[in-house]
Amino acid sequence: MLGFVIQRVLQALVVMLVISALVFMGVYAVGNPIDVLISPDATQIIREQTIRAYGLDQPLWKQYLDFLARLLSGNFGRSFVYNMPVLDLIFSRLPATIELTLAAVFGATLLGVPLGIYAGYRPDSPISKTIMAVSILGFSVPTFWIGLVLIFTFAVTLGWLPAGNRGETATLFGVEWSFVTWNGLTHLFLPALNLSLFKFAMMVRLARAGTRETMLTDTVKFARAAGESEWTILSRHVLRLIAIPIVTVFGLELGSTLAFAVVTETIFSWPGVGKLIIDSIATLDRPVMVAYLMLVAFFFIMINLTVDIAYAALDPRLRTRRAS
Amino acid sequence: MSSRLLEVSGLTTRFETRSGALNAVEDVSFSVSEGEIVGLVGESGSGKSVTGFSILGLIDPPGRIVSGSVKLNGRELVGLSHADLRSVRGREIAMVFQDPSATLNPVLTIGTQMRLAIAAHESMSKAAATHRCIDVLTIVGIPDAARRIEAYPHQFSGGMRQRVAIAIALLNRPRLIICDEPTTALDVSIQAQILTEMKSLAARLGTAMIWISHDLATVSSVASRLLVMYAGRLIETGPIAAVLRQPHHPYTRGLLNSLPGFAKPGQDLVQIPGAMPSLVNLPVGCSFRPRCTHAQDDCTLLPAFATDGARAFRCHHPLDLPVPASEARP
Ligand SMILES: Nc1ncnc2c1ncn2[C@@H]1O[C@H](COP(=O)(O)OP(=O)(O)OP(=O)(O)O)[C@@H](O)[C@H]1O
Ligand code: SF4
Ligand SMILES: [Mg+2]
Repeated sequence: MLGFVIQRVLQALVVMLVISALVFMGVYAVGNPIDVLISPDATQIIREQTIRAYGLDQPLWKQYLDFLARLLSGNFGRSFVYNMPVLDLIFSRLPATIELTLAAVFGATLLGVPLGIYAGYRPDSPISKTIMAVSILGFSVPTFWIGLVLIFTFAVTLGWLPAGNRGETATLFGVEWSFVTWNGLTHLFLPALNLSLFKFAMMVRLARAGTRETMLTDTVKFARAAGESEWTILSRHVLRLIAIPIVTVFGLELGSTLAFAVVTETIFSWPGVGKLIIDSIATLDRPVMVAYLMLVAFFFIMINLTVDIAYAALDPRLRTRRAS
Repeated sequence: MSSRLLEVSGLTTRFETRSGALNAVEDVSFSVSEGEIVGLVGESGSGKSVTGFSILGLIDPPGRIVSGSVKLNGRELVGLSHADLRSVRGREIAMVFQDPSATLNPVLTIGTQMRLAIAAHESMSKAAATHRCIDVLTIVGIPDAARRIEAYPHQFSGGMRQRVAIAIALLNRPRLIICDEPTTALDVSIQAQILTEMKSLAARLGTAMIWISHDLATVSSVASRLLVMYAGRLIETGPIAAVLRQPHHPYTRGLLNSLPGFAKPGQDLVQIPGAMPSLVNLPVGCSFRPRCTHAQDDCTLLPAFATDGARAFRCHHPLDLPVPASEARP
C-alpha cells in the first residue's frame, strides 16, 4: 500500500510539471497582459520599465524557468491586478468554493444514491417514475437557466431566500465559512441546490442502473434464499456492490465542481475561485491563472489518488495482499 | 417410510414473456421425506431451477405460481406473506446454487456473509455467531476455518467456495436443502469429493435434499429417489435403482441409452433425436411426442401422471411394465 502511494505521488509530481509547462504556454498565448497593466497613454519609458519589472521582456523558456525556480521556494508570484501574493488571493476565495462544492456534491450523493437504489429496486412504482423524471430534468436543463429560475422563484417572487452573496460568515479553524451561521446557510442553499441538480441526476442514474443489474444476480438470489430481508440485501449487499462507479463519479464531480463552479458562482455572485478565474482571464492576470490551473490539477490528482485508495478498500479483489 | 417433509402437488409456475406465456413448471407433484435425498434431472430449460425457486417462493415477476401447493410439514407455503416466507427460507429450506463465484458476494468477507445469514433468523452476539460459522465451516471441510473466516471469496478455490456456500445453507440447520447443480461448475475430481461429502453430511445431520442436475450419473450417486423432468412436467419418478434398471418412460430410456454405463449391455450409445420443444409452443398432448419412437395416435392426448406403487410416469405406452396382477389371472 505504501509503495503504491509513493509511486502515485511521484507520478503526480511529473504530471504537475507537465501541466505547469502546458499552462504556462497556454496562458502566454492568451494575450499580452501589459496592455491591461498600464494605461494606454503611459510613456514609452514607463511601459518598458513595467515590462522589465514583470520579466515580460524575457523569452518564454526563461520566464518559465524563473517561474519554476520561484515555485520551488513556494512563491507563485503576485497578482498583476490585486497586487498581492497569488496564493493568498486564491486561498481567500477557496473556502467559499469549497463549502459550495461540498454542499452540492454531498447533498446530491446522499439524496441521489438512496433514491436511485429505490428507483432501481422498484422500477415500476410511481415514486420511482417521479424520481426519474426529476433526474431527466437535471440532465437536460442547463445549469444557468435553472439558476435563474431558482432566483426568480425563491428570491424574487416568494422572497424566501436571498439571491446572492455569502451572507454572514463566521470563523471556524481560522477560516471564514457561511455554513456555520443561519444567515450564511440561507445564502448557501440556492447556489448549492443549483449546482447539485445535475450531480443528483447522475447519482440517481448510476445507483438505479447498478441496483437493477445487481438485483438480478445470483448473489441477491442466494441472500434471499438464505432468508435475508430486503433491507439487508439493499443496504449490505447491493450498496457495496454498486459503490465503485459511485465513488468514481463522486470524486470526479468533487474535482470538477471545485475547479469550475463558474456558472453558478457568477449567477449567485458567490465570491469563490470560479469567479476569480473568470475575472483573471478577463484581465489577463497571468500569475493567478497559472497558479489556479495548477491548483486544479493538484486537486484532481489528489482526488484520483483518494478514489484509487477507496477502490482498494471497497473491492478486496483489487488488493494485492492475499491470504495464504 | 418416514414422515413426509415436503409435499408438492399440482405446482404450476408461469412466466409471461414477450413471445407469450409459458409454464416453466406445470402440474408437478412429488414429495420428500425427512432425511431423504431426491434427485431431479432433466435437460437444460426443463424447469428444474424454477421448481426449486417455486418451493422457496422466490419467483419474481414476470413469473408467478399460478396453481398448486407446496406443503412443508403440512404447512402451506404458497400464498404465505413475504415475512412468513422469509422465515422459512434459510431456516427450514435452504438452497445452494450452481456457481459459487456468482452466489457469494465478492466484496464481503465470508464471515460477514455468514453472519448476515444467521442474523436473518436469530439475534445473537457477534462472537457467538462467529463461533457457529467456524463450526459449520469446519463441518463442510474448510481447514483452518477460524482464520479463513475473515477472507474474501476470491481467496478461495472454486471447490472451497462452494463449500462456503454449502456452509451458509447449513447455518440455520434447515430440514431441507435444495442443491441446484452445486457441483456442475467444479472440476471433476472436486465434484466427486463434494458429492460424497454432501451425501454423508446429509445422512449425519438428517437433512433432506433435492439434488438438481442435468447429469443422471451424478444424481444416481447421491439420490435414493429420482424425478425426471421434461419441458416443465415430471414424466417419471421412482426409486432410483428401479428407474435406472427399468425405465418406463421413453424419454428416460432415451436418456439412459445416451449414457455410458446405463445403456443396455451390448447396445451403442444413441442420443435422443431432436431437441426439447419451446415452452411457449408445446406440441399438443405428450410434449415428448415429436421425438418419441413409441408415439401412437392417442399420444396427442396429454397422458395422466399414472402411479404404479412407488413409481409413476406420464406416458400412454410405457415400456417394460410388469403385467398387472389382475390381467395376469386367466
Ligand atoms: N425470469 C424468467 N423469465 C422468463 N422465462 C423464464 C425465466 N426463468 C425461467 N424461465 C423459463 O423457464 C424455463 C425453465 O428454466 P429453468 O431455469 O428452471 O431450467 P433448468 O431446468 O434449471 O435448466 P438449466 O439446466 O439450464 O439450469 C426456461 O426454459 C425459461 O424459458
Ligand atoms: S405418451 Fe406417447 S409420445 Fe409420449 S412418451 Fe409415451 S409413447 Fe411417447
Ligand atoms: Mg437451472
